[in-house]
Formats: sequence, C-alpha cells, structure tokens
Amino acid sequence: MFRFPAPRARAALAALILPLALAAPAHAQTLVIARDMDVNSLDPHRGFCDTCQIVFSSVYERLVDLAADNKTIIPLLAESWTSNDNQTVYTFTLNASAKFADGSPVTSAEVKWSLERLASLKADPGFLMDGLASIETPDARTVVITMAAPNSELLGILAAPYASIVNAKVAGAAGAASGAGADTADTAESWFLANSAGSGPFTLAAYAADDELRLARNDVYWRDAPAAAEVVIRQVKDSVTQAQMLQSGGADIAMQVDADTAAGLSDPNVVVSTVPSFNFVYIALGAGAEGMPIKMTKPVREAIGLAIDYEGAIDLIVGGEGKLQAAPIPNGFPGTENLPLPKRDVEKAKALMAEAGVAGPVKLDAVYPSVNVYGVDFNLLMQKVQQDLTEIGIELALQPVTFPVWRERIGATGIPVTAVYYAPDYFGSGQYASFFGLYEGSPWYNRSHAAKAEDAANPNMAEKMAAALAAPADKVDAAFHEVGMEMISDRIIIPVLSPNLILAHRANVEGVRYSACCNLPLAEISVK
Amino acid sequence: MTRYIVRRLLAMPLLLLGVATAAFFLSHVTKADPLSAIVSERQMNNPEIVAAAKARWGLDRSVPEQYAIYIGNLLQGDLGTSFRTRMPVANDIMARLPATLELVLFAMVFGVFGGVALGIAAARWRDTMIDHAARLVALIGSSMPVFWTGLILLYVFSVALGWLPGPGRIDARAVPPAGATGFYTLDALLAGDIDAFLKALSHLVLPAFVLGWAVMGVISRLVRGSMLDVLEQDYIRTARAKGAGERRVLVVHALRNAMIPTLTIIGHSFAYLITGAVLTETIFAWPGVGSYAVDSARTLDHPAIIGVTLVGAAAFLLSNLATDVAYAVFNPRIGFGGADG
Repeated sequence: MFRFPAPRARAALAALILPLALAAPAHAQTLVIARDMDVNSLDPHRGFCDTCQIVFSSVYERLVDLAADNKTIIPLLAESWTSNDNQTVYTFTLNASAKFADGSPVTSAEVKWSLERLASLKADPGFLMDGLASIETPDARTVVITMAAPNSELLGILAAPYASIVNAKVAGAAGAASGAGADTADTAESWFLANSAGSGPFTLAAYAADDELRLARNDVYWRDAPAAAEVVIRQVKDSVTQAQMLQSGGADIAMQVDADTAAGLSDPNVVVSTVPSFNFVYIALGAGAEGMPIKMTKPVREAIGLAIDYEGAIDLIVGGEGKLQAAPIPNGFPGTENLPLPKRDVEKAKALMAEAGVAGPVKLDAVYPSVNVYGVDFNLLMQKVQQDLTEIGIELALQPVTFPVWRERIGATGIPVTAVYYAPDYFGSGQYASFFGLYEGSPWYNRSHAAKAEDAANPNMAEKMAAALAAPADKVDAAFHEVGMEMISDRIIIPVLSPNLILAHRANVEGVRYSACCNLPLAEISVK
Repeated sequence: MTRYIVRRLLAMPLLLLGVATAAFFLSHVTKADPLSAIVSERQMNNPEIVAAAKARWGLDRSVPEQYAIYIGNLLQGDLGTSFRTRMPVANDIMARLPATLELVLFAMVFGVFGGVALGIAAARWRDTMIDHAARLVALIGSSMPVFWTGLILLYVFSVALGWLPGPGRIDARAVPPAGATGFYTLDALLAGDIDAFLKALSHLVLPAFVLGWAVMGVISRLVRGSMLDVLEQDYIRTARAKGAGERRVLVVHALRNAMIPTLTIIGHSFAYLITGAVLTETIFAWPGVGSYAVDSARTLDHPAIIGVTLVGAAAFLLSNLATDVAYAVFNPRIGFGGADG
C-alpha cells in the first residue's frame, strides 16, 4: 500500500518543489474543459463532430434552438415562425436585435447565404439540407424556406449547430462561397481554423489542433452575456488524466470520464452526475456478407438478438451506467415511447436456430473498430457478445481493426457481425430512419449487403419514413413509432446499450447540462 | 572533421527524399481508404460527396500522379495539408516540435546525467548496497510502463500533495509565453518572465522525469557494465599506481572510454523519443509530435504520416551524426574516414 513520506521528509521535498508549484488561477472567469477533441474543421458548414457541436453552438447561432427539455424548439435568431399545412414551406421572422460579433445586423440575406452554403459545399453536414427547394428573402427580416417534400423535422434540423448562420461579408472576404460551385470555389476552411464570423455568445480566440481551443466572450452579444469571459477546451485524451485535472483544479469540467474512473472520484470539490445520453452502441449483422458458413436469415438474426445479455452488458461494460434501447432511435426521440425493449431469451433463440436449420458450432467473423467511445470499450463489448452467442452455437472470431480498415472491409465484402456507435446530428428521428432503415440505397442497406440476402431489405421502410416526415405535429410520434418497429423487425441493427453521460465538474461550477443538439451549452455555465 | 560533417549534411536531403518516397508508397499499400478520415460515415454513402472530397484532396488521381505532385511540393517545402487537422503539415509539425524537443531535452538531461552517475556509482561500489540500489532504480525505470508511472506520479504530486501542476505545457488559465523558439521555458527566460518560466518548468518536471527515468535505466546499466570492464584494464591500474586520485581515475580515465558504447544509446534514445514519446504525451496532455504521429496513422492521414516520418528520419540522421562526432571527441583514435580522417 502506498504511504506518503514522513512529515519531515515531506517538508523537505516540498521545499524543493514548491517554488515550482503553480500559482493560484489568475483568471477566475476562465472556464477550463478537459476533453478529447475530435475537431475535423471549425467551418460550421464543414465540421462534423461532437466537439464541433459545442464550439459551433457557442460561436454561431441558428434560426431556432432546442430547449433544456431536449424536445421543444425555441426561438433563437428567429423570433417566430409558421409552416404550411403539409410542412413544405416554413416562414421565419428574424429578431431585429440580432447582430454579429462585428456589430452588423443578422439579416435574411445572411440566413439564405449560410443555409445555401451548407447545402452546396458537398461537405459532411450537407445532408441536413437534403430536399431544400429554395430560400426566399422577401425582406431583411423574413426568410421563407421551401422543401421539395414535407419535412416535419425541419425545425429540429435548423436547431443543429451545423445550420449556423455566418456573417457572409466577413467570411466571404476570407474566401467563403455559397451556392452553385461553392464546393470548388470556397477557400475559407483554413480561415475558420483561426477566426469566426458568428453572432453567438463567444468568438473563436485561438485554436491549436491537438492542444487547445480558446473562446472569448462576445462583448457585443445581443442577448444575455455569458458568465465566463473565456473558455478553454484543453485536449486531454486519457479519462483518468481528465479526472485528475478535475481533482487538482486544472480543469473545471471533464467530459469523458468513464464509469470506472467516476466511481473512484470521491472528492468533495468534484461533482459527478450521470444523465441518460442520446448516444448508443449497437451490434450490426451483415445479412449478405461474403464468406459465411450459414445464411443469415431473419430467424438467425432474431436468435442473435435474443441471445445477447443486454442487462449484463450494461453492468459489465459501463458499470451499470447505461440504458436499454429498443430500436436504432435513441430513447426520448420521437416515436420511441413504448417501443419493446430487448430481452434475453436463450431458449427461444436456440429454437429459432433449430428452425433455421443451423446445427452445431458456426464460426462467424466479427470485425469491429477497436475504439473506446462514450465510455464503451468495444473490445470488452465484443468479448461479452462472443460469450453470449456461444450459448446458441455461434463462435465469433473477434478481429479488432482501425476504423479505416473496418470501413474498407464492411464496404467491400461486408462483415457478418460487427459493432458500431451513433450520436445524434440533430433532434429528430428521421436521421436514424435514413441511416439504419433497410431501404435501397441507405447506408446500412449497403453495409449489410442486403441486396445479396433473401430477407434483409424492408419494402415498407421508405414509405413509412416519408409518412413520418409528412406527419402533422400531433402524429409524428406515432409515425416514427411505426418506423422504429420496422427497424426492430429487420434485426440488422441491434442496439445493445445507450451509455449514460457522465458529467463531472468542480463543485463551484454551475449550469452544466447535456443538450441533444449542442452537447454542452457553454453560455449557460458559470464558475462561482 | 568539418568536411566530414558537411559531407554528411549534404547527403541528408537525398536520404530524406528516399525516406519520403518509401513512406509515400508504404502509406498507399494499405487497402484502407484515407477518405474515411475526411468523409463522415453517412456521407461515405453519397457518391457526389465522395467524388467532391476525392477531387478536393487529390485522391482522384493515380498514385504515380499523386507521388509526382507530392514530391514536387516537397521540394518547395510544402508537406501537404493534413486530412485530419486541415492545416498544412509543416505548420502542424512546427507547432508540435518545440513541445517535443523541450520535453525530450529535459528528459535526456535527467536520463543521461542520472544514468551516468548511477552507472559510475554502481561500478565503483560493485556488489554493495549502492550497487543494488542503483540497479533497482534502473530496473524500475526501464521496466515500469510510463503510462502507469505517469498516472501514479500525477496523482501523488499533483492531486494528493498539490506540489506540482497537472497535465499540459502550462496552466490552461495562464497565457503561454510568446517567443520565437516555442520552448516555453526559454521563451519565458528571454522575455524576463520568471513567473512564466517557473510555471513552464513545473509542468515539465513530471513528464520529463517519467520519460527520462526509462532512459536513465538503460544508460546506467550500460555505463555500469562498461565501467566494470574498463576498471579492469591495465591502464587504470597504471593510473592508480602512479598515484591518481579515485575521482580522477573514475571520471578522466575510466568514464571517457566507458562512454563510447553509451553514446550510441544516448543518440538513439534522443532520436527515438522525438516521435516515440506517445504514452507520456498522452498521459500528460503534451501536444507533441508523438501523439500527432499516432493520430495520423490511426486515421490514414497520408500527408501527416509522411511528414512525421521525415521528422523522425531527420532526427535519426542528425543524432547519428552527433554520435559519430562524439565518438571521435571521446576517443581521438576513432577518425572520420577520408582525407581529413
């Protein structure tokens, strides 16, 4: 057992080291966040990552925002809006007080320029503008967005940080382009790594990749000023190191402390709380993958789903800090209420395997990205699944690989059994239907190689998804519930768990909360 | 000697070009698509987006074409743009190199001086408690994983005792010293900012100790073995017979010869740590070249991979040169070859 040195020795050691010790924090209004940043761009219309959500929603603003209940759409740059009956035309009225960090007003021209830029850059978040027909600006405060097809989720999409409104004059002078040809004409990405052009509560002060990102309070912010004068997001990869920074006062908030580390944090100066997240981890089955010794028919897929010990996985992998999830739509999103949660039933699984004519041990390749995401160690997850499936005669050959290798493999030949994760891009269930739905051309239709399997494609999916997007507000939940049921019955995507989010911060920090759109709303946080 | 050094330096660009060529083709051997570092999961399914990304990053060209463009740019000092950070690779490396060099230099100072001192002591007092203690320190340093040592020391000195700061080059709430070198300690001193110097130094203590301890372990074992050999030589007996003091015998007569094999390890360790201090950088949130290299490799960031390979190769070439020169300094019988040898 470790014991600290005797008092005299400690005093001597302290005398040697104390002159080097760090002085008390000089800037009390500086909020320091320890985080493993995953920034891939700081251009709000190109970047696409969890950290991007935090930064973009702090530096830029959207037409609308998501309230703290993570359900209700509330005004932001737009003070009001209306839509036609079939939800194809949305009309927004901008707040007359809204202004950018350079003092210029936010007008409908900037909104049109920004959303058209998002649509035309051919970058990662561009899919949010899929189906955009036109944007009209009858006057400086009115924006009319017309969609080619009904879209009940447009407000949720416009609340996403990627739908940020950018100061067109400032960014345009730096090479930003919008509209036809913007994907080749736009040269502003490097400028956005050192500058910002938003109307949000903060401005980008400095960014050093893999080191730190600094935000400074926007002194001319048009709404209530944020409490923190400065926010520093410090790159810290290791979960234990993040926790130690929190304990030593080096950080005010640690964003990726895992469940085991959090359980050991017994420090009166540190507050640890867990909240359900909208992230989830799932097993995916390659129904049409090459090289399988059996046909992965629906009964086999259902048997695999029934053989997994979901509760045990939550206990083992995230120390009980997780939730069951029924369909590949996160709990709390439209349509998820009363969906049947997964349950283990080994006897039924064995019967299904027998019914499918699968006898004796069957070996299946299980290639998966070797990552640790949202506190979930994928090696541990797959070992658990491997153990569970042996009970129904399936032996998984585990092959952890890097993400690029995994992508190559799943695209080329398919993978019989794999594991992946997903975090919401905006508040709305349509993103899940379009990503996980087994209709022709969807990402998981291709990845599962459904075209090569007998019963993997879902002929109802595209229609149900369109119906959900066209549903009036009071029928959206019911429509997405049907979409969720379809995806459950596909048995291609099997959610294993939704890990809780561990929010760890110093006791003198207030206002820390998890947002479905924006991850961590920085403007609400203060250090007492 | 000068001609020898100049000749070696002149050969370096050609060697580095060869390294760049090898690194370029090796990084293209893997079947995995670098687009996965550029295009998101969802958009990989969108042919229009994939085509636009390929065109933007030049991945729509054949490998020989890409190579010709890369080498052409390289000859003009352009290492390309990182797929991951979206910054010029040269800028990325120049931003991280001072952090790494500062850490490695401090670690090497600790490792070399500590290792040599321990090695001498262990040899001088062979098979005594001093020898055993020195060997134990060396064994722990070279066998304990740095991520474990790092976490434990961070907990003890930063969290429990509060004597030293936590991870990072400087406190997040402090303003980093501005200066030309990028070495926070040196820049702070040049600016006359003693407070900033102490802060930067305090952040260096733990990571440099952890990194240096591993080096110290190897060096002390090597110095001990070499010293034991040398101390048995006739000329040492002669020196003692002529009345030379023990300190003079050890430092002037024995150590000078015992250091020859150690120089190789010192040079190799220095070059290795430039790109190989990944675990220390991770635990101490040190924004250095090592973690950049690993992140680049993990995401198939080809320009960054080649850039880091060039830095590593340059470090090895320079350290080999320095080692060869040091050989001659420590032992004048070792020449430089050629006319001025």
